[in-house]
Amino acid sequence: MTPRIIAANLTVRLKSFYREKSAMFFTLAFPVILVLVFGTIFTKPEHLNFDLPVQDLSHSAASARLLDALTTDHTFRITPVPAGVDATQYAREHKQNLVLVVPENYAVLEAKRLGAGDVSVSVRLMYVHDPSSTSVNTKIQVLDAIVAAMNQRMTGTPPFITLVATSILSEQYRFIEFFVPGIIAMAIMTSALGNALNMNAELLQKGILRKLATTPITRTDWLVSSILYQLILSIVSTVAILLVSYAVFDVRLHIGAWLPLIVVIEVIAFVGIGMLLTPFAKEAESASAVGNAFLFPMMFLSGTFFPVEMMPPLLQSFAKLLPLYYVNEALRAAMVFVDDAATLRFAGVAAGFAAIVFVAGTFKTRWDGET
Amino acid sequence: MRHDMPNSEHAIVVEQLCKRYGTLLAVDGVSFTVARGELFAFLGPNGAGKSTTAEIIETIRAPTSGRVTVLGMDVTRSKAKVVRRIGVLPQDFSSFDRLTVRESLSYYAQVFGCDADVDALMDLTHLRSKANARFNTLSGGLKQRLGIAAALVNDPEVVFLDEPTTGLDPHARHAVWNVLKGLKDRGKTVFLTTHYMDEAELLADTVAIISKGRIVATDSPARLTEQHANHMWLTLGSSDAAAPGLIRQMGFDATRSSDESIGVPVNNADDVRAILGEIERAGLSLRGMEVRKPNLEEVFLKLTEEHDSDAANEGSK
Repeated sequence: MTPRIIAANLTVRLKSFYREKSAMFFTLAFPVILVLVFGTIFTKPEHLNFDLPVQDLSHSAASARLLDALTTDHTFRITPVPAGVDATQYAREHKQNLVLVVPENYAVLEAKRLGAGDVSVSVRLMYVHDPSSTSVNTKIQVLDAIVAAMNQRMTGTPPFITLVATSILSEQYRFIEFFVPGIIAMAIMTSALGNALNMNAELLQKGILRKLATTPITRTDWLVSSILYQLILSIVSTVAILLVSYAVFDVRLHIGAWLPLIVVIEVIAFVGIGMLLTPFAKEAESASAVGNAFLFPMMFLSGTFFPVEMMPPLLQSFAKLLPLYYVNEALRAAMVFVDDAATLRFAGVAAGFAAIVFVAGTFKTRWDGET
Repeated sequence: MRHDMPNSEHAIVVEQLCKRYGTLLAVDGVSFTVARGELFAFLGPNGAGKSTTAEIIETIRAPTSGRVTVLGMDVTRSKAKVVRRIGVLPQDFSSFDRLTVRESLSYYAQVFGCDADVDALMDLTHLRSKANARFNTLSGGLKQRLGIAAALVNDPEVVFLDEPTTGLDPHARHAVWNVLKGLKDRGKTVFLTTHYMDEAELLADTVAIISKGRIVATDSPARLTEQHANHMWLTLGSSDAAAPGLIRQMGFDATRSSDESIGVPVNNADDVRAILGEIERAGLSLRGMEVRKPNLEEVFLKLTEEHDSDAANEGSK
């Protein structure tokens, strides 16, 4: 191993990277854009806030109290629906997934129940909903909860059962805090695997390897410079993601010694996989196809964008065979849960995997013209 | 066929070299030597095994059997030492797309750990005006010249150039030839792989012809043409249909080519006089004539065709 040669290779690769704008975009800008987009979409506000069109056919003080209760904690923003309009038609025309109808006799029935104490009297609030909408169930659940609370208050006795929440986390975390470690892992994976595959395919397809094979560069020199190059890109990418996450979303993450260690493990793992996949990707086009065939399932099944627990049991078992799953879990254990034991467990599995694929990839990588 | 006994005057010694790919024997017992300071041209049709042989000598491929030494070192066992003393322009040379000419040469110099004079190398290969041009913007000829410059960064004793002019326009070819002449003048041993006969005839001290994995001839271009084509070539400009038949009746092999000229191999000036006299007596038209010695291309075609038919006969037995 010659430091001079490693430095020369590293310089060439960094210059080439700097001069290739698309590589710059996908390595640095793309993960940051993902953080911004998904962070904005999925970061829930402090209070849920929904539009709720209400057709108040009662137009009474009683129905006004009902609407006040719906808007007390700003959960619903009431939009009045004219009395002469068909509620179903209104929902269709105005693309509303939930419309509440307060019946004309609401005030009369309330007076009988509360004023006369007739417990046999009840009122039916009809709602028109669109079951195909993904958010309507949440709105209905919130509506149910508000109605249940009103019924409870009407009984005049305090509730017997109440729920008290205790978080397993030391702090209140939001979606973005769980998302950022996943994006860091994904960005390192795509960069390490993609660069290893594309660089090797370029060396083979363009015949650069034939020239390099007639120089003092050894396979070890080349592999070490590849790892160092990928480490530099991964560090730059991780720093960019973290800076944007802190600046835009004010994330609360623990940045400790585990983070660089897990980054190193992940780089070695995916450069190793890239070396193993190179025989299937001798041209730039097939390198891209092979890379994507490997990257996309890994990205979606390893818990990068959503928790693995949301998937069917079979896919959950499959996820546990994927190296990115252990990297994701290790990063979250280190950065979110601050759980050293869990971090060690997940990082250990990822490190074992990295060692195996890197050694196998090293043996598989040819450094001559026998291709 | 010339095959000197190996000695210290030889830059390259190839002995009984074989290379097998599965059932295909691409190189079949090849032996030859290259003297120090000579320009050695290695010729052969496509698929004859010349690039495979060259790549084994250049340390790119491993031989199946046989032995190759460069500057007295075994290329298989002493690869690390050999590569420091040779320079190689591989076939279809390519480099890193986004590096400039100057950066590419500096990279190879750094890899070899030598203080190469990059400006002098660019001057030698007429690349100074393209010093800051990136590799992916260079024409084919400029890329080849960069490849030659890259092969010289370590001031090698032996330079391997694998088809350096393939695909180049005439101007670019002549520019590369000038570089090769410059290398020869500087005392470098040059191993040139080519399928352009004019290139070999113009530049080479020694030529080896390989066909179907075997060496069929090794000598200087002049001696090869003397030994394998001891006739002259008479070309007659005549559109007269009776002319070829008349010449054939005299016992010569006359062939009409597509430009209406008639080609006749002859042994001496008496043959030329006899043919011209017979045409005059028959009253046939004659627009012009040319007598020339056969060239390396004709020798190459003759030798490779002979070897092909011998190989076919051996195969059918």
